[in-house]
Amino acid sequence: MRLQRFLTCLLVLVLALAGVSSHRAVAADAKTLVIGTAENVTSLDPARGYEQETSTVHKAVYDTLVTFPAGSVDKIIPNLATSWKVSDDGLTYTFTLKDGVVFSTGNPLTSADVVFSFNRMKNIKSNPSSLAAGIDSVSAPDPKTVVVKLKAPDPSILAVLIFTSFAVMDSKAVKEHGGTDAADADKTDKAEQWLNQNSVGTGPYILTKWEQHNQIVLVKNPKYGGPAPAFDQVILRDIKEAASQKAALEAGDIDIALDLSADQSASIKSNPDLKLYEGPSAFVFFLLMNRDPKIGGPVSDPLVEKAIRLALDYDGILKLAGGAAVQPPSVIPVGFAGTLGQDKVLKRDLGAAKKLLADAKQDKGFSVDMEYWDTTYAGVNFSTMAQKIQADLKEIGITVNLKPGTLDVTLPNYRDGKEQMGMWFWGPDFIDALNYVEFLPDYKVGKRANWTNANSDKEIQDWRDAVKVEVDAAKRADLFGKIQLYLQDKGPWAPFLQPGVQVGYRADLKGMAYNPIWLIDPATFSR
Amino acid sequence: MPLYLYVLRRLIVMIPMLIGITLVSFIIGHAVPADPIAANLSQRAMSDPTVVAAFKAEWGLDQPVPVQYLVYVSNLVQGNLGRSIRSRRPVLDDLKAYLPATFELATTATVIGVAAGLVLGVLSAVFRNSWLDYIARFVSLIGISSPVFWLALIALLVFYVRLRWLPGLGRLDSTIPAPPTVTGLFTVDSLLVGDWRAFSNAFRHLILPSMVLASYSMGLITRITRASMLESLTQDYVRTARSKGLRELVVLRRHALRNALIPVITVIGLSYGNLLSGAVLTETIFAWPGIGRYAFQASSTLDFPAIMGVSILIAFIFIVVNLMVDVLYHIVDPRLRTR
Repeated sequence: MRLQRFLTCLLVLVLALAGVSSHRAVAADAKTLVIGTAENVTSLDPARGYEQETSTVHKAVYDTLVTFPAGSVDKIIPNLATSWKVSDDGLTYTFTLKDGVVFSTGNPLTSADVVFSFNRMKNIKSNPSSLAAGIDSVSAPDPKTVVVKLKAPDPSILAVLIFTSFAVMDSKAVKEHGGTDAADADKTDKAEQWLNQNSVGTGPYILTKWEQHNQIVLVKNPKYGGPAPAFDQVILRDIKEAASQKAALEAGDIDIALDLSADQSASIKSNPDLKLYEGPSAFVFFLLMNRDPKIGGPVSDPLVEKAIRLALDYDGILKLAGGAAVQPPSVIPVGFAGTLGQDKVLKRDLGAAKKLLADAKQDKGFSVDMEYWDTTYAGVNFSTMAQKIQADLKEIGITVNLKPGTLDVTLPNYRDGKEQMGMWFWGPDFIDALNYVEFLPDYKVGKRANWTNANSDKEIQDWRDAVKVEVDAAKRADLFGKIQLYLQDKGPWAPFLQPGVQVGYRADLKGMAYNPIWLIDPATFSR
Repeated sequence: MPLYLYVLRRLIVMIPMLIGITLVSFIIGHAVPADPIAANLSQRAMSDPTVVAAFKAEWGLDQPVPVQYLVYVSNLVQGNLGRSIRSRRPVLDDLKAYLPATFELATTATVIGVAAGLVLGVLSAVFRNSWLDYIARFVSLIGISSPVFWLALIALLVFYVRLRWLPGLGRLDSTIPAPPTVTGLFTVDSLLVGDWRAFSNAFRHLILPSMVLASYSMGLITRITRASMLESLTQDYVRTARSKGLRELVVLRRHALRNALIPVITVIGLSYGNLLSGAVLTETIFAWPGIGRYAFQASSTLDFPAIMGVSILIAFIFIVVNLMVDVLYHIVDPRLRTR
């Protein structure tokens, strides 16, 4: 009995002592940058991982041939490749590699490493490999030159090569750990588990540890050839709930919170210890109107489609979305090279819309079914948006019947071109306006609206074919300008929203720069 | 029947039960109108037939559904739970990584809930209709009816952000390395190697989430204990004990409470089993890497091997906990012993 009591008191004392001592902020460690994010990484192997957080890590530990400058995506700058030449037929790109670059393993960078990395990524046939679908072959005529041959001219290939899946890895080290770039790499490559815990790149940081659903730890790369980053260590902590991220940011336990929502912005901005980055994301939300009269009915008429574009209350939609949302002038997002300026966005004009309906003999009004995926994506709640659009179109006499559904039901209808009207979004696979040629007649998304060569003008078809091969930047911008204006007038699309992103960070951090692929680059920050 | 035979019989029956669970999970998982390909591949990759074919081949999704099930079961009896599509590593490794965290949290929460609940329930019954009773009932009502995620966020806001009394998220501060894995429970493992700093930190991280989780079980146990105690206090044997001249405390402890505990044990068992299967909301808000979060992610990405693995684990936990509760009845209730 006495022993029992004694042990109980001892236990209580132990626990009490463990509890004492107030909690000091971890991130006060000046040499460590702690990033809070909802971990969605499936793999840190560049040939397999395709998620946003994976890109953040890869941006810090690997380099690509070319890249974007910090904070903008409208021009391409050299990275591992100092210069490049394009053949006249647009099929061959010849890159010259930088001198004296060394991997974190100590091995020097040669063109063989680039060839190995690209081939491995393609042959493992995982998520990112479809980015390499247009590449016919990659070769290394000499240790400083890489030749990329395409199957067909593709002016966006440089933008594609910026994607972090085209990371250049130390081929010797990867092969040592079971990696291969052979044609059957999807079955024979064994390096993934090792690459999940280690990196063999040329970037300013090295991956040292990935504790799944806990944290990813990067340390400074002593062999990095560029300016040393300010932080010795970067930790990406898994915090799935936005409210928890905000709490940790306020408490100072994390320096950056990547997954805040628009309604948290106000309280972050009013906190003197914190700052908020706000800017447009790369997602564009749009309405699809089916050009096939049998499916689209009244909305297959281009006049009706234009009326719908003019009937949307864009200002109201922006207010509903909140945050840094913007109105895109077309399906190409604001911020891309070649996007029309904000002075060219469509403005609501109910009078003109009603007149167009009258011209199309639809002034008595009609009803239309609008299908959409019932979810929240990129901070946008589809149901709320759908109701707003329903209310807007009611004002010109169009009754929208809302038809929400789960992804597996609505996606096939969308992909097979069976929707009368649909509400969808597009996230670019690579940051170049050429990705949006898919919205033109006879291309992937165009077909979903049954917009084909048979029912479109020769004008748009010619521009489409020209922009697919044009490499000159000025001519490309001119063509895209024409295409966007055309889409505003005669296309089956009504793009209405480009949601914003918000990143909260401690006020004493400098160097915040946003990128739609990798969100933030840990190497740009300093305190 | 003797106790050991009873336990043996229950354990043998467990095996067909677990196999039945796999069949049910498998059928439900495949009946759900969602596509694991859409859940795991990007839109662009989905339109590339090479990538889709490679994905299906890797996960055996190109086989007919009954064949997939048979393959799964034949692997299962060899101890192979398959690989998770999302984490790309063996499901067994995933479960081994996440179960200890949930176990630590659930056990601490249950201990707190039981201790607080029993005390409050007994006091409430003994001092019936006094101010103590009213406070206890009020507190238990809040515990039962408050949504746990709201409670968690309020706790975080008050004790972590504003007062800075306790650390907020995760099991350990980033700067403190985890103790070498023996049981997977950070508190136990750090004590085993004498790492006082890690123990203190792990314990402090444990306080807030377990108190939040304990709120529901505490509320429930308070009410059941109170009701059960009230009933046993009106029994004849209590009157007899009192008339024998025994001290009130002895009457309460040895006579009233012991008999009141039977229904309470049931509730404790159910509540513990429930917590062990993972408290998704609490784990998500406190960034606690446990089974609840793992199960939630597995179901939303249609990660079949993980879903099956988690289903089997949770079924196993419930069966074992219920078995322990039944064995406890045999020990506690003398009426069952003579049979």
